Amino acid sequence: MDQTSNTEDFIRQLAEHQNRLYGYVYSLVGDHSRAADVVQETNLVLWRKIEEFQSDKPFLPWAFAIARFQVLAHLRDRKRERMLLDASLVETLSAEAEEQASQIDSVREALRLCLQRLEPDHRELIERRYFRSMSVADVAEALNRTVGAVKVALLRVRRQLAGCVQKRLAAES
Amino acid sequence: MNTDRIEELESLLLAWEDGTLDEEGIELLRAILRTDEKARTHFLQMQMLTAAMQLEGDAGLSLPPVDALRSDAGPQATSNARSRDRARRAYRLAAIVAGLLVCVLGGRLAWLEFGADPVTPKEAVATSDGLPTVSEEEPTARGIALVTKLVDVEWADQPGPVEVGDALTPGTFAIRSGFAQIEFFCGATVILEGPAEINLESPMLATVLSGRLRAHVPPAARGFSLDVGDMKVVDLGTEFGLSVSPEGADVQVFDGEVEVQNRSDERRRVTAGRGLVRKPGGELEETAATAENFVDFADLEARAQNQQNSRYARWQDWSESIRSDPRLIACYMFDEPESRRRVLESSLLPTNSELDGAIVGARRVEGRWDQKGALEFKRPGDQVRVQIPGEYGSLTFACWARIDSLDRWYNSLFLTDGYEEGEPHWQIRESGEMHFSVRAHERKTNKPPHRVIHSQPFWEPSMSGRWIHLATVFDIETGRVSHYLNGRVLDRNTIPENLLPESTRIGTASIGNWSVPTKPDASFAIRNLNGRIDEFLLFAAALTDDEIRDIYEHGKP
Repeated sequence: MDQTSNTEDFIRQLAEHQNRLYGYVYSLVGDHSRAADVVQETNLVLWRKIEEFQSDKPFLPWAFAIARFQVLAHLRDRKRERMLLDASLVETLSAEAEEQASQIDSVREALRLCLQRLEPDHRELIERRYFRSMSVADVAEALNRTVGAVKVALLRVRRQLAGCVQKRLAAES
Repeated sequence: MNTDRIEELESLLLAWEDGTLDEEGIELLRAILRTDEKARTHFLQMQMLTAAMQLEGDAGLSLPPVDALRSDAGPQATSNARSRDRARRAYRLAAIVAGLLVCVLGGRLAWLEFGADPVTPKEAVATSDGLPTVSEEEPTARGIALVTKLVDVEWADQPGPVEVGDALTPGTFAIRSGFAQIEFFCGATVILEGPAEINLESPMLATVLSGRLRAHVPPAARGFSLDVGDMKVVDLGTEFGLSVSPEGADVQVFDGEVEVQNRSDERRRVTAGRGLVRKPGGELEETAATAENFVDFADLEARAQNQQNSRYARWQDWSESIRSDPRLIACYMFDEPESRRRVLESSLLPTNSELDGAIVGARRVEGRWDQKGALEFKRPGDQVRVQIPGEYGSLTFACWARIDSLDRWYNSLFLTDGYEEGEPHWQIRESGEMHFSVRAHERKTNKPPHRVIHSQPFWEPSMSGRWIHLATVFDIETGRVSHYLNGRVLDRNTIPENLLPESTRIGTASIGNWSVPTKPDASFAIRNLNGRIDEFLLFAAALTDDEIRDIYEHGKP
């Protein structure tokens, strides 16, 4: 395979797997902007290692391995900041995170359908908290409810959504 | 699973996301994860859900805010969301490439800078491309008229061929030859004889640029009018003919009366048996009507019947030849004479009654043509049970279906019982996407079972009750899966090598439903199709685009 089409193929694969990489990294760092940074760093490292890329080999396991190193490096570099997981937990969770993240497209799709089935005020909670990134306190203020009440409601709706998504994923396989 | 710990984990996680979790809380959360495997799985599921919500939010696909429902929703909103999604993906791809460019020197990326764009957004998107957001509002459709008959039509230059059942929106409708019958939403029916060109304006109005037509206007549609240049023909509840050429316009009334208004606001009434000719200079001249110059409805019906007969005969000839294609492993033409037997005869040659399907519940109904049979699937138990032995590689599914609606999460076309290694599932999602998957690994391994390949959403309620041809080709050598609608490629995607099975097999399966072998009295997932099937082919080979197109061309009603 000549270099141009190899490069082309690499870029295409990289683009195709962005969401999966994001899902993997987010699940381990638990923060949107940090996860976006780590994915971008992962893209760069993959690019630098393009010689190791062979288009007939599965791309994703290779990319996940690099992403895991980047997550660990991120923990190491930011010792002073609060992190959700420590390095040993990242190692423990990594394999299952890979497996779940490879299905993120199915999760998204199930999520869309599950969102349709929520009560309108429940959906509004999810909208505000996750799609508009409002804090719990802001949501409470906007809806004229107490922080405690919003927390309880959010936990309940999240659980409902998670249950619905898992059911659909199970139905798919 | 210890539900207390799970609940604790969830509220710790919510606090973390909100930035209100202290050191002690973080330590508590980690301790739960260290000691409890189920909690770890659950934690990752919650994280994946949150990541998915972030991605949705990023893609700008959030649902319309509850308090401000937009009025332009419906299919339009879906496609806007889709193109937005696509645009963002393209943007994201560009961002990745740009990010890479910053740190790359030299000409390795020269093709990106100087060559043609090598990665179109369409190719670059992952399998989730263009998932529709299901609209929260009542679905809407657009149009001012319906195409109800097309006989021997050759199209003039206009975007894409129109099919019987299509709704027409305001704009040009032109045919080079043949006949088209259009029913306006006000109730007026027009037969257009090619070559002709009209401009649809509203449910009550069209402009005739050239050609010959006959209009039938029942009392409920009174007031329907046609513009010809600066002349207006207002129908007062009748049947009339109109022919427009560079030499002038000719209105003839066969029944009832019409009113003709011209430029100088002169109004003339024309009654049954009379006609009115407008000369190029604009002057009007009375004539007698000659109804035989305009094709009438009975005549068009006869022509349509002839067209149907000849298409059916052509399909019969073709189906005789395809039945002995050595690549076929299942072939059902649904064309046996009406019988009381609850058997769907296998049409494969040489005949093999072992492949006969058992009809459960489904009713025998009319197929693509009056003369041809089909089966109708309506209730949760309706299906055809088949048993197809053997081990294969590539597969091609092709069927003619008439979908009434997509009622289930998954609407089956063809599903193997259960879902074991090497077994394919072919179905349509409620979102209107074709869905193909084949299980790659044994159930007992904890590897991901498969990569689902879906098409862009192709079905919408306006297609309800229309015969469509669906096909999916799975090439086991390359992992490539291609979905087709009416002979054209909808989408192609590739199953990665690590998710490809060694071989494929069918065994016991259902057409139009899913049967999971379960214990007696166990419940089952409802995946029945709501609609009809009247031809089903399964090849143990990957057919080419041309071959799929050929099946469609020979079978279109």
